Amino acid sequence: MTAERMAAVVAWWARRYTRDLPDSVARRRIDELEADVHDHIAHERADGAGEARIALGIAARMLRGLPADAAWRRSVARSTTPEVTRMRRTTRSLVRIGLVTACILLVPAVGMLVSDGVDWGVADFVFAALLLGGAGLLLELAARTPGRLVYPAAATAIGAGAILFGEADDAPGLVLFGGLLILGSAALAFRTAQRSP
Amino acid sequence: MPRRKPGTLLPLETEILGVALARQRDGEPSFHGFALAQAMREQRGSKALTGHGTLYKALGRLEEFGLLASRWEDAAGVEGRPRRRLYELTGEGARVAGQAAAGPARDRPPRIASEPA
Repeated sequence: MTAERMAAVVAWWARRYTRDLPDSVARRRIDELEADVHDHIAHERADGAGEARIALGIAARMLRGLPADAAWRRSVARSTTPEVTRMRRTTRSLVRIGLVTACILLVPAVGMLVSDGVDWGVADFVFAALLLGGAGLLLELAARTPGRLVYPAAATAIGAGAILFGEADDAPGLVLFGGLLILGSAALAFRTAQRSP
Repeated sequence: MPRRKPGTLLPLETEILGVALARQRDGEPSFHGFALAQAMREQRGSKALTGHGTLYKALGRLEEFGLLASRWEDAAGVEGRPRRRLYELTGEGARVAGQAAAGPARDRPPRIASEPA
């Protein structure tokens, strides 16, 4: 690997861990690192070091600084614009839920195109979308509020309802969904309870 | 990384102040990140340069404490390379660095005037 390629990796990592931070803070860190790595390469080349050795040296500096990068990002994010950060997190969560729901609903949609055994009406898709979206929202809320059991409990209730409804309606997919939702809620509640103060 | 006691500096931060003080005494008060990493490597007799994240986090903390000040170098002086961020000891920084280098409690971490909120 060339030194320039490793410099590009450092720049990529800097952009990655400064994302969502205030522009001036992010820009300063990115520009400062660019100058540092440029000076590093120039110095090593002037000393007659080979490309691989220079790249290795830059990679080692980047790797040794990773824990400090993460700690720095946390401290900057804590001290700046909590409102903006919260809004961005919420938007990301909603987009994630929407994408996962759409991907899952693609399965029966494609199934209808390729097989006569799958026959979903509009109402089925709407019901499934509400069920998946609602479950996703509850799991997101559960993950964000450690120690509050109301969201995992609500998700578990939906899961239990899905199992009962699926059994009565002979819908094994719904039963599987309910089971997975209950397991996921329990795991999330356990994990967040461990993290809560 | 060692845990910070309130109102004290970490060993790396003391080391940075030491290098900054030495440069100031040599009549070259300004320094940039890579030059600092090199100077610390020479001082330690080590082969490795300080990690990027470790170095710039420490510089940021020293600036927060008011021990260092920084500015971007003039674009006019830059020829085909990225602009460097230049650091310099403040008056308080020089006092703390001097204390750390010559004080009787050399083994104890140097104290800073106040801890930022």
